[in-house]
Amino acid sequence: MLVLACRSARAAASVALSTGTLELAAIANVAWKVHTAGALQTGRYLRADALTSFFLANIGLISVIVLAYSVGYLRHIPEGRFSSPRWFYALFFLFLFTMVAVYLSANLGMLWIFVEATTLASALLVGFYNTEGAVEAGWKYLIVCTVGIAFALFGTIALYLAAVKGGVNPESALDWTVLMAAAPKLGVVPDLVKLAFVFVVVGYGTKIGFVPMHSWLPDAHAEAPSPISAMLSAVLLNCALYAVLRFDAIVSRAIGSGFSHTLLLVFGGMSITVAAFLMVVQRDLKRLFAYSSIEHMGIVALGIGMGGMLGTYGALLHTFNHSIAKALLFFGAGNVRENFGTLSMEKIRGMAKSMPWTTGALVVGGLSIVGLPPFGLFVSEFMILTQAFIGSHYFVAVLLLAVLSVVFGAMLQHFQGMFGGDAEVRPAKLKLATSDFAAMSVCAVCLVVLGIHIPQAFTAMLHAAVVVLR
Amino acid sequence: MGLMELAATKALASAAVLLFITVLMMASAKRISTCIVLFGAQSAVLTSQILALAFVHKSAEMYIVAAMVFVIKVLAIPLALFRIVERLNAPREVASSTTSSQSVFTAAGLILLSFYAVRPYVQTLGVEEDMLAAAVALILTGAFLMVSRKKALMQVIGLLVLENGIFLAALTTTFGMPLVIEIGIFFDLLMGVFLMGLFVFRIRDTFDHLDVSKLRKLRG
Repeated sequence: MLVLACRSARAAASVALSTGTLELAAIANVAWKVHTAGALQTGRYLRADALTSFFLANIGLISVIVLAYSVGYLRHIPEGRFSSPRWFYALFFLFLFTMVAVYLSANLGMLWIFVEATTLASALLVGFYNTEGAVEAGWKYLIVCTVGIAFALFGTIALYLAAVKGGVNPESALDWTVLMAAAPKLGVVPDLVKLAFVFVVVGYGTKIGFVPMHSWLPDAHAEAPSPISAMLSAVLLNCALYAVLRFDAIVSRAIGSGFSHTLLLVFGGMSITVAAFLMVVQRDLKRLFAYSSIEHMGIVALGIGMGGMLGTYGALLHTFNHSIAKALLFFGAGNVRENFGTLSMEKIRGMAKSMPWTTGALVVGGLSIVGLPPFGLFVSEFMILTQAFIGSHYFVAVLLLAVLSVVFGAMLQHFQGMFGGDAEVRPAKLKLATSDFAAMSVCAVCLVVLGIHIPQAFTAMLHAAVVVLR
Repeated sequence: MGLMELAATKALASAAVLLFITVLMMASAKRISTCIVLFGAQSAVLTSQILALAFVHKSAEMYIVAAMVFVIKVLAIPLALFRIVERLNAPREVASSTTSSQSVFTAAGLILLSFYAVRPYVQTLGVEEDMLAAAVALILTGAFLMVSRKKALMQVIGLLVLENGIFLAALTTTFGMPLVIEIGIFFDLLMGVFLMGLFVFRIRDTFDHLDVSKLRKLRG
């Protein structure tokens, strides 16, 4: 069912779109089966449970929206070596395939292989424009993430070693179901388990964009074509986060959650603080959104780090909300770039007059990303905050509130400048493609729906996903 | 334990010394091609170690792994890197930001550090101290090469050395991971080197040089 979606190197956007729809159908099928029959195991290396299907739903939704948006966006792309719409779609599906495979891996080794493959598949997409900035960003992305992921491999090996020492059969000592069941046995070598988790968090944390390993993230997000920025921010970061979640669950069972959760709290706290202050001084619209991604991944790490029903539930919900909001914002940024030919926020003025729909999208996205009701992110951030007070993590609560207000100020200030006033750079006044409009409105509707009333089926899926992690 | 097994185990221990030598020479090397040869030699030492282990443990899987390491890391990657160096038509020295004596001293310091770092684990894991220290030393010097050398290709080589270290760590502590996983890791490595080669050409075409320390447009 996966192979259906993996490769179609046709120029025709329609092929891409139909493959995307097929893939969405396949994912919906998997999610439905998991929902009705519990965990699904295919062979030794593929497995889907509730957590998988939650993240699959996320990736399926976002990728179809992004595909719809790309159709309009690719009209203006310059041709070059490895950069034509044909290559774009081929690499896009390869990228998508590797990410879906990450979620479906039943084995921590396979998980590592596919996370590394996501880097390889997307590096060319990051460097797609072939400009100086894009090549630099692509190179940095490739090197930084490969080194980071190499550390994660070291961590994986250390955990494997701990499992073998704990008496697990070496053949299956990387399957996470086996590891979850045998976790208490891993407790005989607590130092090794701790070592493993540190390396895993640093390694996969590089891909999530935790400060101080985040250096690749703003560059890659800013220089990639907008649909790819949306994919990186909305899906790839979640993908790496999923890897950490799996390890966190195993380690928490083995030696108690104290160690791993404290580590996540520290990284989360650093990420939100640094990202918030860097957001204030940004000049480039997409870099601003990139730092906002780091901030939100930090919030998610805080939620998981505090644990508890509300913390974990809120964190998972937050990944979903964040990905929709961020996709919307990057679509808006893509339109801005097409019209103004720049992303420098100082040069963009008078947007409200020249591009009302995009402005609307940015307003909705911006308001939701800073966590205002009635949008989805308010709900999930509120849950995480509630958990902070319930679990008496007062320092975390205060830090989070302070950071959120800094971010609110930063976003408001940057946006106000862009929307009003008279334009120095004359916008091209391109007509908004129907597909762009559709993609953006789907995002906006999802955000409002998730903010007002979360559908019953979705809640059930989330609950099942949280149960998997316990 | 038969005589042959004993000899194989001893060979393993002395291989660590060879690895230290490759690392130190890499730190002092002035030309990229020397580093590529040294990387090939290092991988050859690894291959012989896997062979020795395969012999001791009588494991068919490990013979396959040894063959893969030989083909990929001793033949394919060094040859590909040589081709890149040739076709790049660019200055071929490593352009280090430290002098070569400083680099050697740093590498020696890192080797000492790795002996110190593995000490607590040697007892609990029951592994050869030299080998584990060699693995950590490879990881550290690989990282050192990546940050101190300015040429894009040297970063690739540093990364490969780092990866060799991780591979060696897995080999000494767990006698390697399941075969399917190993194959996947090798595939990723190969694709990674291919992509990095592609990017090296792109950097040259876009910037007219290969000095990654001058890639500083994006910051903040």
